[in-house]
Parts: sequence; structure tokens; C-alpha cells
Amino acid sequence: MSAVATSETALRRRILRYGLVLAVAGQILWSFRPAPGRALTAQEAAGQALYEASCSTCHGLQAEGTGSGPSLHGVGPAAVDFMLSTGRMPLANPAAQPIRQPPRFDPQEIAAIVAYLTAIAPGGPAIPEVDPQDGDLPRGAELFLNNCSACHGAGAIGDSIGGGRIAPSLYASSSTQIGEAMRVGPGLMPKFAPQDLSDQDLNSIARYVLWLRDHGDRGGLQLGRVGAVAEGFVAIVVGLGLLLVVIRLTGSKT
Amino acid sequence: MIVRRWVDGVDERLDGSSFISRNLRKVFPDHWAFMLGEIALYSFLLLVLTGTFLSFFYLASDEPVTYTGPYQPLQGQTVSAAYDSVMRLSFEVRAGLVMRQIHHWAALVFMGAIIAHIIRVFFTGAFRKPREISWLIGIGLFLLGIGAGFTGYSLPDDALSGAGLRIAYSIILSIPFVGTWLAYLFFGGEFPGPDILNRLLVLHIFIIPLAIFTLLGAHLAVVWHQTHTQFRAPGRTEDTVTGTPVWPKFALKSIGLALTTFGVIALLGGLFQINPIWLYGPFVPYSTASPSQPDYYIGWLEGLLRLWPDWEFHVFGHTIGELLLPSLVVPGLVFTILALWPYLEARASGDHEWHHFAQHPREAPVRSAFGAVGMAFFVVLVLAGGNDVVAKFLGIEVDSFNTILRWTLFLGPVLSGSVTYWICRDLRDRPRHPMAAPPRVTFRRNAAGGFEEIESETPVAGRPSEERDRT
Amino acid sequence: MRRASLVVAIAFGAATLAALGLFVVYIAGGQPQVEGALLFVALAGIGAGLMVWATRLMTGIGQITQSRRHAQPPEEKEAAAEAMAGGVEEMSRRRLLFRLLLGAAGALGLAAIFPIRSLGRAPGASLFRTEWRPGLRLVDVDGNLVTRDTLEVDSFTTVFPEDAVGSGDSQAVLIRVQSGSLQLPADRLAGAPDGYVAYSKICTHAGCAVGLYLARVHQLRCPCHQSTFDVLNGAQPVYGPAARALPQLPIEIDADGTMRALGDFTAPVGPSFWDLPP
Repeated sequence: MSAVATSETALRRRILRYGLVLAVAGQILWSFRPAPGRALTAQEAAGQALYEASCSTCHGLQAEGTGSGPSLHGVGPAAVDFMLSTGRMPLANPAAQPIRQPPRFDPQEIAAIVAYLTAIAPGGPAIPEVDPQDGDLPRGAELFLNNCSACHGAGAIGDSIGGGRIAPSLYASSSTQIGEAMRVGPGLMPKFAPQDLSDQDLNSIARYVLWLRDHGDRGGLQLGRVGAVAEGFVAIVVGLGLLLVVIRLTGSKT
Repeated sequence: MIVRRWVDGVDERLDGSSFISRNLRKVFPDHWAFMLGEIALYSFLLLVLTGTFLSFFYLASDEPVTYTGPYQPLQGQTVSAAYDSVMRLSFEVRAGLVMRQIHHWAALVFMGAIIAHIIRVFFTGAFRKPREISWLIGIGLFLLGIGAGFTGYSLPDDALSGAGLRIAYSIILSIPFVGTWLAYLFFGGEFPGPDILNRLLVLHIFIIPLAIFTLLGAHLAVVWHQTHTQFRAPGRTEDTVTGTPVWPKFALKSIGLALTTFGVIALLGGLFQINPIWLYGPFVPYSTASPSQPDYYIGWLEGLLRLWPDWEFHVFGHTIGELLLPSLVVPGLVFTILALWPYLEARASGDHEWHHFAQHPREAPVRSAFGAVGMAFFVVLVLAGGNDVVAKFLGIEVDSFNTILRWTLFLGPVLSGSVTYWICRDLRDRPRHPMAAPPRVTFRRNAAGGFEEIESETPVAGRPSEERDRT
Repeated sequence: MRRASLVVAIAFGAATLAALGLFVVYIAGGQPQVEGALLFVALAGIGAGLMVWATRLMTGIGQITQSRRHAQPPEEKEAAAEAMAGGVEEMSRRRLLFRLLLGAAGALGLAAIFPIRSLGRAPGASLFRTEWRPGLRLVDVDGNLVTRDTLEVDSFTTVFPEDAVGSGDSQAVLIRVQSGSLQLPADRLAGAPDGYVAYSKICTHAGCAVGLYLARVHQLRCPCHQSTFDVLNGAQPVYGPAARALPQLPIEIDADGTMRALGDFTAPVGPSFWDLPP
């Protein structure tokens, strides 16, 4: 063989060798990318971009959690959708109580993030299908009073529950968010499992909460549905106040 | 003409002429602060009138029935007959809801007017001899009012008042030796007991109103007989009373106040919702909702319960529960001191004379300071009773709010008492009230551009009141 | 004066119209807000009219000064004291009869109090017992059996004995926590299998139903006065005015997942009373 032909063969062999190493290395590295172990769909990819921009600082690039935020593995799409659609997440200050705010993302973006997290951290309760029209109003009232009113108030207006937290008013919630919260148990809230409160029970409770929101009461101004504290205040300030004005005007001052 | 014939008729049968003329000519001082008791009286009258209407519709029974009325969230639910009767009254009886709400608002205004009246009598020293007995009767009426309110709002058997009944039962249980017996006697057994609604009804529409009527009658008769106190003014003496004759002027003004009181309470009853039992649902012993407060005039007791530490005592193998001190001992002490105040003050000041003049608060700085202390305690405790609601309203964490309240409970009265004392003493030692007669100085600008005083005028010494109490 | 009488006239006129309006509203079926507003105008209209009439229009009637009563002259007081004392003395002269009278009155007074006993029964041992017995299955408020699968971790529900649903004194709250996280003494732990633990729902402070479960911190809280109990630690009170832990209901789980009570609560339920042993 000629010298040129030998160096060409050696070069080709060298290229093949390095290429093989690169291919193997690439395969190894590719296997470390997050699950699903398949290509991300367009929606999941969009979700990944949003997640890495807004959430990964506290929840980790693989949703494994960091010092500032818990792991999202196993929390379920219901939790993610709840937190994002109520604006509780993203949370600027990890130490603060997450409260309802205008959501940062629109519904498509939320769906994308949910899809992405479902792909890389599967498990947990799915987003419940809550249909208030399918619920039974009296059953919902009974379930609400027995299970929810201790924290959220008989009128669903919320109350202080200690531990630095407030069980919020439910008047701004959608029926899906009500169902999600019951399955997920966000914050200090306990979970309500399907064997305890069925999906039909969720429909009924959501129906009652929406009914409360949409119906005033016959008695007049509801004073926030808070009860005796507001009533006492009105009795003194309005009732006695008006009468004090009357007697000041008609009595003498000596 | 008709009047003359009527008077003749009365006189022939009852020898009433001198009685009529003496009492129609009787005078009452006109000061506006003396009308607070009337507001209480007329609120009570409204309570009796609306309450009579309500009592025709209420059923005091815990028999379970199925609700079939128009309020949708309760349809088909099992509720007690009592709860059902109040729901029917609220949703199906014409004018039922407005009557019920007027009745409840009247109770709140009644208690508020009593408290305002007690404050007025206290700060003006009108409880001094010879009026100690009116004071005692008045404190009794206050206690009866609390009892009437508690029994009344427990009648609808809703979840909120049921929690209150449970707490009352537990308070009775905590009494040493006889607590369990008393609780079982009153409730007819273990909570909730078979008869409690009926017993509350008997108390609420018979026993307590009878007691109130009797004491009220005595209260008014004593005031009438002793003549009302009045503030000092030129021309007034201890031995005379100056005011408006009962007929026609004072009576008409008073009737006018009665109707105006009715009107204001009716306005509340129609425009502001109160005690929406349909939201709370029927009482079930295994569910308590939040927020959970009694009416405000019991709210101070609730505040004591929430702020009191978890002290439980064990004596000779028995238990004295955490409820005894804050719900019975402390209120018992407070009411005892309140009731005995005329005698305590007379002892402390050495003043055993008759007094028909009402004092201005500044004339008795120590008494006014104590009054301010009491009011501050009351206000902080009422706020504490609603601590979860107030904390949420203020955006504070409720457990921290409790700490703030505990500090305020001690520092607040100290502050209000001292400030009141110094203000009163300062005002008392001035010749005239600085707002009534501020010191005047007249200035003139001189040619050089500066100011110089021409004359200064301070009000002349010599106050309207000659008598100064040493308190 | 003229303005005042105009005010009075308007007030009475408005009151009349409002009262007529009340007829209309009532016949039309009633409406609470309108009824309240019309009642206000009708009542306060007459009231205000009367008050203005009395205070501003009856100017001819001025203030009058009258003398107050004085203490009675000494002779009167003497006579009164003698009249009272005389009557008592007349009776107490006959000492034996007087004492017998006092004894009889006292005995009758005591006897009159006795019917009060009919109002209720003796407490007996009822405060120390509830309806729970060994072997009774746990059911929820609808009467459905509670099994191992009913709750997830961080869930809770209210349970009753299967033959006493809704019973006030037997009410219990069943909580599921992470298995192994309960810090109970060994004998108590035996009654809390697999992270399931049941406590009385009656607050040991004043008896309200302890229905707030703060899942993440494992605390039960009472809505009435904020007593807070640590679920992992035998429901010991950690905040608020309660001084005693919630009694535990020992339970077992059958092979098929049915949950049964092992006996009554570990202590009397509800608030403290005199006979409660320390």
C-alpha cells in the first residue's frame, strides 16, 4: 500500500473511533435527560420552558425540590393546576403564605406546565371533573357544613385558623378549583379521598358553594356573613348611634 | 269636656283627682343623657310586642321533621321541629322574617342602651344615696337581660346557638361538688337533653320577662318617687328639681322617643340581616362551624374564655376545670363589685350624705378612672371574643393577636384609667372647662412689626358647682 | 316655629303614607327590606313629629321647679319603727309557738325545693361512658362502614359506633397520618394501627366539636376558643385554653380492612368536671 493510502485509512479509523466514543457518550448523556424517556410533545416542551423559567429555582430542574420549595413528584396535576390557576404559584417569597391572586399564566400556559410536570413527575390526583349542575344542593349543604365549615366558615367566607394561616373565602373559586383543593389538600388543608367524599359529593359541595356565592339572603345586608361580631358592631354604631343623635337633638344640655 | 267628665268619673270612683294632678304635674329634668334609660325601656317594650308575635309561631320541640319549605339547600333535610318552625316563620310567614329580625336587633339595642345607661349613671354618681336601690335593681335588670338574650337566641336550635348551649352546659359542669347534678337537672340529662328547648322557652317568655317586669316596675316607681337627679345650674338646689312637667310635654316627648326607637330598630330589622339560621344549619352535636361567637353582650365572657390560660386544678382527688374561673368566678366578682359599688364608694370616700345633683365625671376623678378601667376591660374582652374575625379583618395572625390582646388587657385599662384620672383632675381644678371658656389674649401689632399683648382675660374663678367630692 | 311645625307636618304625613304603604306591601306578599324601611318611616315619623312638637312647638310650657321629698319627720319614723317592731314582738312573745312556726316554715321551704329534683336525673356514671364497646365497627355520619381504604394520608373523617350514628358523646375523629410517625406510648400505639388514630371529637375545654384539621402540622383545632391538639402526640393540647388531651379511641383493623373499636375511650370525654380523677 502507498503511504498516502495508509494515512487515509488511519485517519478514517481515527474518525470512526472518535465518532463511536462520541456516539456512546451521547447515548449515555441522552439517557440522563428527564423522563418520559420519549420525546416531549410540543405542549410539554412549552411547559418545560415556562417551568424552567418560573418554577425551577425553588422546585428544582427535575421537580425534585430544593431548600426553598418542596418536591413536586407525586403531587398530581390537580395540585399544579390548582396552584397555578389560583395564582398562588409562582410564589415570590417562599416564606409567605400562598394566597389567591390573579394568575401569572393563562390557561394554555397552565395546561402546558401541567402536561410537562405530568410527564416528568407522574402520580398524584388527576384534575377532577367537577360538574356542579350534577350535584345535589341539599346534600352539598350538609356535606359542606359537616366537613368544611369548621375552617371555611358556615357562609364559606373564610376564617383565621392559626398556624399563621387563614382558610380563605371560597367565593372566588371555580368548581374545578374547589374539587382540586379537596383532593389535594393544599397548604394546611387536609385531603378528602374519593372513598370518603366521592366525585358526586364533590359536585354537590361545589354546587352549594356556588349557590352561596350567587344567592344573597332575604334578611337584607349580609354584613359579610360573619355573624355576631358584625351584628354587634352595627347595633352599637348604627342603632345606638342614631338614637344618640336623636336624644342629643331633643334633650337639653344642662 | 270629655276630659272633665272622665276626671269626674275617676274621682267619684277612685278619689283620683289629687293623684292625677300631682302626677301629671310632676317634673323631669330634660338632660339628653337621662334619656338613655328610656331607650332601654322602649327597646324592651318592642321586644315584648314582637316577641308575642313570634311566640305564636315557635314550637319548642326537638322532634325530628323533614324540611319541606322553600329554602332549597335544606329541602329534604332532617331538622328539629323548633328549627323548622323558625324557618317557616322566616320564609313562609308574611312579615315573619322582619318581625324576627326586629326582635333580635331590639335585643342588641336593649343591651347596648342598658350598658350606656349604666355608664351614664356611674359617671354622674347618680347611684349615691338615696338611689343605691335603683342601682341594685338596675344591675339585676342587666343580668336578666343577658339571660333573656341567651335563652332567646338558643331557641331556634341552629348550629351556632347549639354550640353556645354546649358551652353553657360545660360551664355548669365545672362547678365543684354540684356541677354535674346542676347540669343534669337543668338540661334534663346528658347534653343536649330531651327538654332543653322547652325549658329555655319557659325561661325566655315567662320567668325572665316576669322578673324584668317586676324589677322594671320597681325601678321606675323608685325613680318616680325619689325624683330624678339633675346637673347643677344657677338657681338649682339640692331640695328642688327643675324640669318639664310630665303632661303634656314630657309624656309626648317620651312617647315620641318610644316610637323613634321602634322605628330605628325596625329599620335595622328590615335592612340588616341578623342570625341567618339557614346558613348555619340545624344543630348537630358533631359539627361546629367557625366563626363561632355569641351576641356581643356575652362576647366579653367569650373573650375571657379565649384568653384565659389552660389552668386546671386538682384538689383532694377531684378536678376543677379550666372553665370555672373565667366563666363563673371572675364574672361573679365583677358583678358583685359592680352591684356593691355605691356602698364601696360611700365607705371609701366617707360620704354618707344624700345627693340629688348629678356630677360631671370630672368632679370625681377616682371614680371616673375606675369607670374607664372597666370600660377598657369590657371593650378588649369583646374584641377578644371575636378574635378570629377581627384578626382576619386586620390581616394579623390570630395567635399573635391573642398575645397582643393579653397585653392590651392589662395595659389598656391602666392607660385609660390614668389618662382619665389626670384629665378629670385637671379639668376639675380649672375654674371653667377650657372648651366652654378658653382663655383669651388680645394682641395688637405695633409699628415695629412685632406683637404685643393688650389684655388677657382668664375666666373668673367660681365654678357653677360649689360642692367638691373628695373622690 | 313655622319651620318646626312644617317639619312636624311632613313627618306625620310621611308616616301616614308609609303606614298605608305597609298595607300594600303586606297584601302583595311582603318583602323584609321594604317592610323595614316603611316601618321606620311610619314609626319614626310619628315619633320625630311628636318630639319636635314637644320640644320646639310647646314653647309656652316652661321649666317648673318643684320641691323634692325629704326624709320624714322623726315622729313618723318612730311610729313606723314601732308599728313594725310591735307586730314582730307580739308574735315572738309566744316563744315556743314562734320557734315551732319557724321550724315548720323551714321544713316546708325545704320540701318545696324537692320537686326541682324531678327536672333531671342523677349523673351517675354516664359522664364516664360513651356508646363505644369492644368490637363495634366504625361508621361515618351517613352510616357507611369506614375501612382502611376510606382515608388517605393527611385525611380525616368523623366516625361513630355502628349502632349510634350521630351520637353526641361518642363522636370521634379518625385521622390517617404517615405510618410510624405517631409518638404514642406502646400501649396506646397498639390502638393506632398503620398510622390510623382516632380521638374524641368533643373538645376538653368547653365541648365544641373539634373539626379543624391542620393536616401539614398534624394539629386538631377547635373553632370555639382555638384549643389546639397535637395529633401525633396523643392529642395533647399545645395551644389555647384546653388543659386535657383528647381521649383516644383504640381501634384495630381486620384482615378485610374493617375498622373496629377495641373499647371505650381512654378517658372520660368532654370538658372537666368535679369527679374527674386527676
